Amino acid sequence: MKRRLQRINLIALGWLFLLLLGATIAPTSSPPPNLLLTTVAPFHSVHWLGTDPVGRDVWASLLAGARATLQISLPAALLSNILGGTLGAIAGYFGNNRLRIAYGWFAALVLMVSGICALMGPLWQSLGLLVVGAVGLSAGLGWLLSSSRWGSNLLSVPLDDMIQALIALLDSIPLLMLILTVAAIQQPSLSGLIALLTITCWTTPARLLRAATLRTVPLQFVMAAEAAGLPPLRIVRKHIWPTIWPVLLARIPLSIALIIGLETTLSFLGVGLPPEVASWGRLLASSRLAPTAWWLIVCPGTAIFLTIWSLQALTKAKSSTLLASTDVTK
Amino acid sequence: MKLSRYLLLRLGRTSLAAWAIISCIFLLSRLASGDALIRSVLDEAFTQPTITATERAETEALLRHRFGVDVPLFYLSFSTPPGATAPAWQWHGMTNQYHRWLESLLHGNLGYSYREGAAVADLLKSALQYTLPLTFLAAILAVALTFEFCIWLGSHPAWRSPILSTLYVVQSIPLFVIALVLLLLFANPDVFTWFPAYGLGSIDSFSPWTGALGQYLYHLVLPLLSLILVSVPSLAIQLNASIQMEAHALYVATARAKGVAPRAVVRRHIVRNALLPVLPLLTELVPNVVAGSVVVEMIFALPGMGRLLAEAASAQDYPVLLGAVLLVSLARLFSQLLADLLYQWIDPRIRLSA
Repeated sequence: MKRRLQRINLIALGWLFLLLLGATIAPTSSPPPNLLLTTVAPFHSVHWLGTDPVGRDVWASLLAGARATLQISLPAALLSNILGGTLGAIAGYFGNNRLRIAYGWFAALVLMVSGICALMGPLWQSLGLLVVGAVGLSAGLGWLLSSSRWGSNLLSVPLDDMIQALIALLDSIPLLMLILTVAAIQQPSLSGLIALLTITCWTTPARLLRAATLRTVPLQFVMAAEAAGLPPLRIVRKHIWPTIWPVLLARIPLSIALIIGLETTLSFLGVGLPPEVASWGRLLASSRLAPTAWWLIVCPGTAIFLTIWSLQALTKAKSSTLLASTDVTK
Repeated sequence: MKLSRYLLLRLGRTSLAAWAIISCIFLLSRLASGDALIRSVLDEAFTQPTITATERAETEALLRHRFGVDVPLFYLSFSTPPGATAPAWQWHGMTNQYHRWLESLLHGNLGYSYREGAAVADLLKSALQYTLPLTFLAAILAVALTFEFCIWLGSHPAWRSPILSTLYVVQSIPLFVIALVLLLLFANPDVFTWFPAYGLGSIDSFSPWTGALGQYLYHLVLPLLSLILVSVPSLAIQLNASIQMEAHALYVATARAKGVAPRAVVRRHIVRNALLPVLPLLTELVPNVVAGSVVVEMIFALPGMGRLLAEAASAQDYPVLLGAVLLVSLARLFSQLLADLLYQWIDPRIRLSA
């Protein structure tokens, strides 16, 4: 069983390495379409993976598509995991009543925001001055108020509820639908698509890390750190984070796989990337112009499948070894 | 009493979230489209250069009125009023696009399609009549297949390892690749021409209803198959893992000891207890299948909701897009309510803490 797992790992790693290699050596400028040879079957002398209905070489499109896919999915997965992980850990540690601020500071904050909003119109020319002045004034006011009897009462901030509400907001529509709709409205560029995928895909990592943090918080070393009077953010960073980050590490390949699936589906439906960017999904979509051209489905389909499968296979192996060695939270 | 209060609270919370996100999408769509839409229509209408500027301005005003974008977007805005130099906060009262949209939504009016001019509600209704059978059939078949399959797997442990590997492999293929491969294999004159490649056939040409129904189902085979293939693996992997967890419980040993057949042990004793961890996945199934129908209906050219949504997305027909998203979020809402009821039914010990 172990040897088999290793063999599968080797295949998966090998494919991912090939993919990275292909994405880096892919030519940045696509060769001009050969209009004389449209829909050529594979094993042709020049185009040995065939051409699509407008005469572009399938092999070149595959390489360019690999680059585009990685350019989107790697940053989007990393960013969404970092965002979700941070929010999840904060929600899990601070809960609804661990973070408390004095009434005085809260009142000063509210006054500052409403003051900036109200004076934004008349003082539009000197906005920087307004912000600096408001921050300075409200800092003084907060200090004064919080030393009074009323202002020193503590108000607990329901961080957990707020983050849960955000998650519920994003989860009220299936992910594909949400991304499809927003992408159709905004027609994003490459970086826009990364931003869109980041702000829609962070909910699952956040939920996972919130659960992991909730399991860690009652442990005794966290209590000891609290009893020693360490600041909360330091406890989260130095004491809780080292025990929960393996969860995130196991999630990142799955996120990449999920985002690759979403991105290719979007380009297949014709709402993802701008049309001049090559993509596996677009290559698959071109098969609808030539229904009998099997190579237009088999080549990009195999690439997508192998990539997603490799990422999932790696996660499976990694999470099982991680569980055995480093998981102190179970 | 307590259950109904909990359900009401839950319903209120989820519909609040759905309302918020749909409002966001509405505002985003109007912000992005407003002027561009008018300009594109104007450019299409006035190709000849003989039109004077005043005529053009009049037509633009008429168009703005027709599309309902002649009033401000939201109750409040931060913009430069005419005649002033600095921007300021402005209160627009009830005559704004968002208020009108919300009001007509509450009256059941979803607006009119930019492209066809037809009422969005009618478009959705005619699309639903194709999508509902497809999605519900797919969901029911997927659940039934998963259960039968896992019960069979529970009593045949020798098959477990190879079948689980296969399931993991199938799980990592995106839906549109599965659908395209099915199309390539079974609706291709070069390989097998067993099934039709697209459409629903001409139902009217069959006078007895059994013939029409048969024709209908025959056209639905490939779409159904691709939806099932994409939803069964994850369900089956979860249910199987959950069954394996339960298999070591003492009541299973008792059942074995009193001589219950292995298959009956799984079916009558284990599955009921293994159901709880799988329930969230089961309730996600209907919304996910509806989302999947976007892709499937696109590929097999079925005139359903998913295709309506995909075409509206690529043609930027925002009223239709919003209507479809609204409908999907309603489906989500109901499946969540159903999940809460199911939790109670499966395990009455579950505490209702909202």
